[in-house]
Amino acid sequence: MECRVRKKSSKNKFYRVKSAFLSMVCFISFQAIFFANNIDQTLFVNAGQAYCVDGHQMAFKAFNSTGVFEQQNVQLSVGVGDTLSLSVINNDTIVHGFDVKGMLGLRDTILPGDTAQFVFSSADLGLFIYYDHLNYPNHAYMGLSGIIGVGINEQSFFWNIKDHQSEWNDSLAFGGVVDWLNYYPDYFTINGRSNPNINGDTTARVEGEIGDTILIFMANTGQAEHSIHFHGYHCEILYSTMSTSHIGRIKDTFPLKRLEGYVLRLVPDQVGEYPVHDHNLLSITGGGLYPFGMFLTILIQ
Amino acid sequence: MMKTLLTALFICCSLFLNAQTNVFLIGRTLGEKIIANGDTMRVFGFASNLSSHPPIPAPLIEANQGDSVHIDFWNVSQLHHHTIHLHGLDVNQANDGVPMLSFDVDHMEHGWYHFKAPHAGTYLYHCHVGSTLHLQAGMYGPVVIRPSDGSNTTWDGGYAFDTETMLFMSEFDTFWHSDSILDHEHDNGAVHDSLEIPRYTPDFFAINGLSDQQLEDTVELTSKTNYVNYFRLVNIGYCSNKVIFPGSLNAIIIDSDGRPLPNNVISDTVEIYPGERYGVLAESSTPVLDSIEVHYFDMMTGVLKDVQYVKVDIQIPNQVAELPKLNNLRLAPNPTELELKVTFDLIQPATIGFRVVSIDGRLIKSELVKRYLSGNQSISINTSNYSAGQYIISITDGTRVVSKQFVKK
Repeated sequence: MECRVRKKSSKNKFYRVKSAFLSMVCFISFQAIFFANNIDQTLFVNAGQAYCVDGHQMAFKAFNSTGVFEQQNVQLSVGVGDTLSLSVINNDTIVHGFDVKGMLGLRDTILPGDTAQFVFSSADLGLFIYYDHLNYPNHAYMGLSGIIGVGINEQSFFWNIKDHQSEWNDSLAFGGVVDWLNYYPDYFTINGRSNPNINGDTTARVEGEIGDTILIFMANTGQAEHSIHFHGYHCEILYSTMSTSHIGRIKDTFPLKRLEGYVLRLVPDQVGEYPVHDHNLLSITGGGLYPFGMFLTILIQ
Repeated sequence: MMKTLLTALFICCSLFLNAQTNVFLIGRTLGEKIIANGDTMRVFGFASNLSSHPPIPAPLIEANQGDSVHIDFWNVSQLHHHTIHLHGLDVNQANDGVPMLSFDVDHMEHGWYHFKAPHAGTYLYHCHVGSTLHLQAGMYGPVVIRPSDGSNTTWDGGYAFDTETMLFMSEFDTFWHSDSILDHEHDNGAVHDSLEIPRYTPDFFAINGLSDQQLEDTVELTSKTNYVNYFRLVNIGYCSNKVIFPGSLNAIIIDSDGRPLPNNVISDTVEIYPGERYGVLAESSTPVLDSIEVHYFDMMTGVLKDVQYVKVDIQIPNQVAELPKLNNLRLAPNPTELELKVTFDLIQPATIGFRVVSIDGRLIKSELVKRYLSGNQSISINTSNYSAGQYIISITDGTRVVSKQFVKK
């Protein structure tokens, strides 16, 4: 008798859960269909000089939101189901390309002065890397690579991770040839900045409170590999561009191969200021000096 | 009666809740290490006493989940400041070991670090002062948090295992170990020391601080068929690693960074990047005589730089450990001064050999002794000309190696 009651109870619970789940799916679908936004964004391919952490300058190119050169690529963010209409204007003097890694049918080339149109949408939370695919990896390495975050919340942060051998930037800008098997970068940046300037970037510097749900959209758009280590907290992988088998892993160190990205969920359980840095400790340098590389802090109040 | 039982229960609970692990570590900067080509290299490191060079990796910190761990860190290193960063243990800011956010420890000062042992798993500790230089110099070691009951299981309610092997990967660039690089300036009061970092060109690729022949002589998995072997893989170098297990070991990746994976991964290859840890279970129903390959890749270029090998010898139980000839190895006195008496039991007659290595891997003495009859036997070793420090003596009967550590005063 007791078993029967339990079974019935369990079944009812199952129906309740199932019903709740179906309602949630319907609600999300409804939201996606009826509340999806159309977002228009213009990107300019600009060439200029990037300032390194020690004041050194190097040739650089970026996708900017205006025709004025900035050394930080635009961080594109959309909600799940939103449609992003992109106009990409080539402000440079050479042919460039545009592609979104992992999205078929978006790739195109853009002549100097021309504009190309692209439409992007994703039905799920995720991270995509947009980049100039021409003469790969040279154009992307020169700076033309950024992040599209899908499913951002009010506490989302972006880390676009790059590395540069500054002499090579200058060489490639004038049509030089480099041998990637001898690559030895001397500057390491997040969103175009190095330690200690990264903490001044409010889109990169995580600030929050205990119990917050913080999303970090992190991608390696450089040529080296990196291994990003969190002090103070473990994070859960919500999305990986490389392997769905990584989803759900809870870790403190996240390897990033070339053109690899993650969406991480951080729910802080203690207050304090904690570093996040590349644990390939050669990348915590800038111009050969420690610790002016890939190092920032998280502040939880 | 009830009152007595409740009191006893309360005392037991109090003892359990207040389980405490105390660790004493000394920061050193004048250590020496013998590398695979026989040269001596200057190292920094953490040691447990002043009489020996700091081992690389540093001494294991071990506790059970839920224990209170207290580290007394004494810095005896002249010019240099140091800290202990408890990597992956998610300690609070005060104990995080990052100099500008917590504190650093000056020469002849003590620093105390406290934390409650979190999830069972594999972690690290290392100095976070001038980390790029101080890690390369040797200031790193492992932390193993065991399940609450201290048992040979991966975590509370996890997998039981029979053997446990740590493979701790790093590299050495011997140029970085020269005095001109290691003896960097320290600017008291600066947010960061600003340090010049030379180009990194590692010339030795290590597992547990050992390379090539040193590694082959020292590190191996010796186990039995149908035993569950648990590997703790750690990368603290500046290269990425690919650890390739023999297919016959049926490797399964089960945890990373101190947490179980949501889904186990059946794979004989584990990619492990600097700062990461992985747990791997390996088991074979048939004998295996093979090697685990560890590949080292340059993270800037992706180029393979080196491969190191760890021997795997898995035999059918009755052929090895269930009928050991050599048992019950004892050393006296320990610490020793002039002579070390080594006693052991032989179940059947055997030819016994022994070797003594210093804690930094230097071969001190190697000898094929003679044939002994069964029963209690002993060997005397003259240690009068040994330098003060820690040593490991290994004795073999030809099929089995038994090792013990001793200290020369």
